[in-house]
Amino acid sequence: MKIIRNRAIYEEVQEKLEEINTNLNSKIQQLFENYTGPFANEIRENTKIAREKKLPLCQDTGIVEFFVFKPYDLSFEEPLHRTLYRVVKDTYEKNGYRKSTVLDPLYSRINKMDNLPAIIHEFEIETSDELEIWMIAKGGGSENLSALYIIPPSSTEDDVINIVVQHILKNGPNACPPINVGIGIGGTADMAILISRLALFTDEYFPRLPYLESYDDLAKKLHLLINELRIGVQALGFGPTCQSVKVYAYPTHIATLPIAISVDCYLSRTGRVIING
Amino acid sequence: MGESFYYSGTLLVMRDAAHKRIIEEERETGRLLISLYGRIIFYAGPTFSNGRMVIGPTTSKRMDKFLEYTLSKGVIATIGKGERTQEAIEAIKKYKAPYLVAPSGCAAYLSEKILEWKIVAFQELGPEAIYEINVKDFPLIVTIDCNGNTIRQNG
Repeated sequence: MKIIRNRAIYEEVQEKLEEINTNLNSKIQQLFENYTGPFANEIRENTKIAREKKLPLCQDTGIVEFFVFKPYDLSFEEPLHRTLYRVVKDTYEKNGYRKSTVLDPLYSRINKMDNLPAIIHEFEIETSDELEIWMIAKGGGSENLSALYIIPPSSTEDDVINIVVQHILKNGPNACPPINVGIGIGGTADMAILISRLALFTDEYFPRLPYLESYDDLAKKLHLLINELRIGVQALGFGPTCQSVKVYAYPTHIATLPIAISVDCYLSRTGRVIING
Repeated sequence: MGESFYYSGTLLVMRDAAHKRIIEEERETGRLLISLYGRIIFYAGPTFSNGRMVIGPTTSKRMDKFLEYTLSKGVIATIGKGERTQEAIEAIKKYKAPYLVAPSGCAAYLSEKILEWKIVAFQELGPEAIYEINVKDFPLIVTIDCNGNTIRQNG
């Protein structure tokens, strides 16, 4: 049985959390190179100032979500959630990232002032020696666009397209476009939402999840149609509306067809670390 | 419509929880905790990093249910991000109080435009407290003018 040092996990995750909160990835910077619409200068300057002065790109640094792909025979020196909670708390405190979680969601809504808990999903994998930890820090504005539709199993591709495009037309302006769209089709309700989150991660990451498939043609169609909505950068009508669409599919029940939508803002604060035993 | 300009002056920073609290307190005590007369409200929840206030607009639509109230107390304009409901546009027309957007996801940049800040109320709410900030050359675009015209219907 292999043991991974929790200190190594802490250090790698901390470095990645700081990177995604302060350093806009180069692919997104390229997208703005030819953009001359409203706030073009502000967006470019923000990227520069955040990187140089180690300031968060956005004041909303999110609730951190982790997706952990863990070899089945790997063990830790302490429970993994304890390490991940500690690294989030410390990193957010140290860098002055916003504490955005409230303890009781409906009544008192008292701010915990430590940004905990982080949301953690673990998947067991068979075939690797490496621990993979994916993380996303996205704000409440884009999180409020998350949606689940359960449609009849006899529905068509056009029905799915219609649901997604109408949803983005209605709500897209609030999610800081150009947005990233993750779609989960199939599974149970919870699984559809879960794979729609995984679909917010960029191309080089494919989740090691048995049965998971990618619907690339549908993603391309959706990408085109969402851009045709012309919501534009910052919802001001100029430039692209959408950066990426990914569609993941999962086996489902004969009676059902869940469609989950997750949306991430233009900053796409996603990252991955791989840790060897 | 769609004019962009730079604003220098004060803004009152408040969002969901502060709106809810201020209205509840007025209902209970009969008094408004702070004067909103002549103020510009910036819907935002800052964080503090490297000695700076790091701030940017939050989704304005969530404050639409409070807009009639704040405008009736004398607020002259609101700042946030995203679109607003028809109900909010009606209030904007009625009180001639335009809606402006600030660049979202640009908090590091906007931190350089903030000269000073202070907490006005509800310190215990952390990022949701009410702050008064003094800004210089703060970039804004009018997306709903005081006649209720919106930027996307025109452009």
